[in-house]
Amino acid sequence: MVAMLSVSVARANGYRAKNVQVDVAKSAMKITPVRDWNSLSVRPGKKAETWTLDGEQLNDVTFYGGIVPGEPLIRETSKKHKPLPKFTSETLLVEIPELLEGTYRTEKGIGSFSVTSSNPDRFLGSDGIRFTYEYVDADNLPRKGEARAALIQGHLYMATFDAPRLHYFEDTLDDFHNLTDSAAL
Amino acid sequence: MMRRTGVLAATAVTLITSAAIGQSKIAPPPPPYAGAYQPQGIDEIGLWREGDEDERTLANSPILLRDEALNNYVKRVLCAAVGDDRCRSVRLYILRVPLFNASMAPNGTMRVYSGLLLRVRNEAELAMVLGHEFGHFEQRHTLADWKARRSSSDLLSWAAVFAMLGNTYQSYSNFDSLQLSVYGRLAHFNRDQEREADALGLGYLNRSALRPQAASVVWQNLIAEQEASALAKGVRKPNFNKVAFFASHPPSGERAAILAAFADPVGADRENGVTRYAAALAPWLPTFLDDQIKLNDFGASDFIILSLAENGWTAPLLVARGDLYRARGNPRDLSQAAEFYGKAVEMDAKLPDAQRGLGLSLIKTGRRTEGQAALRQYLALKPNASDAAMISMLAQVARGQ
Amino acid sequence: MKILSRAVAAFLVAGCILAPATGQERTATKGGFNLAPQSGKTILVFRPTVRVGAQSTGGLFEPNADWTDQARRNIDDALTKRQQTLGNKVITAPVSYGEDAQLVEEYSALFAAVSRSVIQYQFFVGIRLPTKKRDNKADVFEWSLGSGVGALPGAKNADYALFIYNKDAYGSTGRKMLQFAAALGGVGVKSGEHAGYAGLVDLKTGDLLWLNADGAMGGDVRGVDGAEKRVGQLLEEFPGSVQPNLAAAQP
Repeated sequence: MVAMLSVSVARANGYRAKNVQVDVAKSAMKITPVRDWNSLSVRPGKKAETWTLDGEQLNDVTFYGGIVPGEPLIRETSKKHKPLPKFTSETLLVEIPELLEGTYRTEKGIGSFSVTSSNPDRFLGSDGIRFTYEYVDADNLPRKGEARAALIQGHLYMATFDAPRLHYFEDTLDDFHNLTDSAAL
Repeated sequence: MMRRTGVLAATAVTLITSAAIGQSKIAPPPPPYAGAYQPQGIDEIGLWREGDEDERTLANSPILLRDEALNNYVKRVLCAAVGDDRCRSVRLYILRVPLFNASMAPNGTMRVYSGLLLRVRNEAELAMVLGHEFGHFEQRHTLADWKARRSSSDLLSWAAVFAMLGNTYQSYSNFDSLQLSVYGRLAHFNRDQEREADALGLGYLNRSALRPQAASVVWQNLIAEQEASALAKGVRKPNFNKVAFFASHPPSGERAAILAAFADPVGADRENGVTRYAAALAPWLPTFLDDQIKLNDFGASDFIILSLAENGWTAPLLVARGDLYRARGNPRDLSQAAEFYGKAVEMDAKLPDAQRGLGLSLIKTGRRTEGQAALRQYLALKPNASDAAMISMLAQVARGQ
Repeated sequence: MKILSRAVAAFLVAGCILAPATGQERTATKGGFNLAPQSGKTILVFRPTVRVGAQSTGGLFEPNADWTDQARRNIDDALTKRQQTLGNKVITAPVSYGEDAQLVEEYSALFAAVSRSVIQYQFFVGIRLPTKKRDNKADVFEWSLGSGVGALPGAKNADYALFIYNKDAYGSTGRKMLQFAAALGGVGVKSGEHAGYAGLVDLKTGDLLWLNADGAMGGDVRGVDGAEKRVGQLLEEFPGSVQPNLAAAQP
């Protein structure tokens, strides 16, 4: 997930070639894409990284690597005035959708977000969760999302996929599945 | 509530006897209605015609609340306040936005945010706010505005006042271009126009069946909420009287006092419409409250919950408080959350979210067996819950149960 | 002044607002697409999306209903005048209500998001996505709104749809002052934003056949002349268009 600001940065966006395993989110999580992807140089947080095919407004895959208790998922724009929900050592796997929801609602200032399903699904070789959601962001474009997460040795690893519900979500969902199926620690 | 009235009266007296801030007489009844307003002149026709395009975007927005019952109720409160003949020119849109704000466009489009419906406590307060916005419309402020300000747009609305104080609202100023039609204008009216609108709003209230003294309570509650928010965040309390530097509105402290002065004492014995308001909002309250809690503003959210609880704790309110504490999630918060959910379950054992919250909190505070029992209750009540499979694993429900 | 210096400091520290490469107009056509004038095809024109406001010192967009109303009126009029030059049969999208209208809104929002992505990630130098850079080299332009466009009101009677989006954010005094102050310090700060996109979409596939996207357009759309100039620029090189005695477009 990337904040909806238009920021021009001189650093180039990265290339993620197919069949080449890479680390993501400066963490131990590795991904092997089966097609070429792009990795944005602007990262949502120090332990997050966003990949895209056509731009984050159209398809946004964000990896969160090894979030530790006390940390928010993404960078806070103001720790004091707009604090984000924190992952804690008591956070249960079933509560991860609420953590994402609270993060999106607070950061984006939106009133419309709902978790539509949430099921156990192994991820990174551990018991994990796969959940889906819908929301309307500041650009008035309804989006759908799917995410996978696992808690490994007290750390949170997660991958989310957000895209407009018109065409883009369905069109790139298989690609998201390919990415996360390849995920390894 | 009684304590606040006392403080209010004292403040009002102090300010009235000090240097003139505003008029200290009762707000007069509004002038007789001159009939449905027709736009005159190119400027005004232009504004109105284009306002219809904005309205189309608004009417088709994915964040519009289309619930007929809620819309009809809010419209009725407006009509009761300003009169049926005035009310006919208004088209109301309720938007799911967790901020306190309402606005009115020159063509009669009125936008009300869900965050406002969450915060007003009764019909009198709602009528005050709606009457105030209608006052802008009736005084044709927007057109005068436009003619005077063609080249600048630095006036602020109520929500923007708080934005300047650096709290949560500031972050919601990322109104992108596509938001215009849906959110309505940010830039608004100057201080004199706001005072006029306040006076008109009070005028409506004074001659209505509702208690005009409720008007200033809206502002008092907002001030208190912002202070609670700042306290929990450990940031400096906003000084509302200094806000005048940035804002085009009378500062909140001053405004509250003026509104108190404008209220007709004769109306003090009328009712506030508390019960009717609570009944109309009941189907939506859990949703609006949830929207607020998930903004991670602990102080403001707890303040709102406690205010709502002044009318009596209900199971959903207790669940909301549990959710708030569980979300913050410090060890002490989790114990308290378990208490709140526990009380909710006592009041209504059939409320699924109470059982779910109780189960999760107990598990997180080391009371695993009790927690699992509560989760099994949740599953029994809501077998098709979207997270049923996850909760089953946690509750260690054996296959076939 | 206190606010201004705080803002300047914040920007310099954040270092996140750099002057991008000046937005040059860019047009792209999907490979193999060709539309001749008088071809017998029909173009469905949706009401342009128009947003006008101010850009605050902090770079935030503050919508201005009055400016938007003026601009919308002028742009509508300019578009009406230009329809004769589009070269093929044009029908305007029917006025719709309820779910149909919501669908139009949603596709308009999607068109804007796609156009912004094309500009940001394929057209302009600096932050192009590597896969799009590769597409540029191979002359590939593959963007779509999805085949669901066939459900739009009026789509049954047309082959293509024309979407237009226009956003103007005029730099406020504070913003202009910041720009000046920052320039002294050697930091580029953009004041104001004037973006326009015009796109032709295949109503069977949703593919974007032609896009004209400019992030730095000229003219003041609040005035009649500015709006005419803007629409002229947006529809420059429109496929199958015929140039009348209006100013000739650059090839």
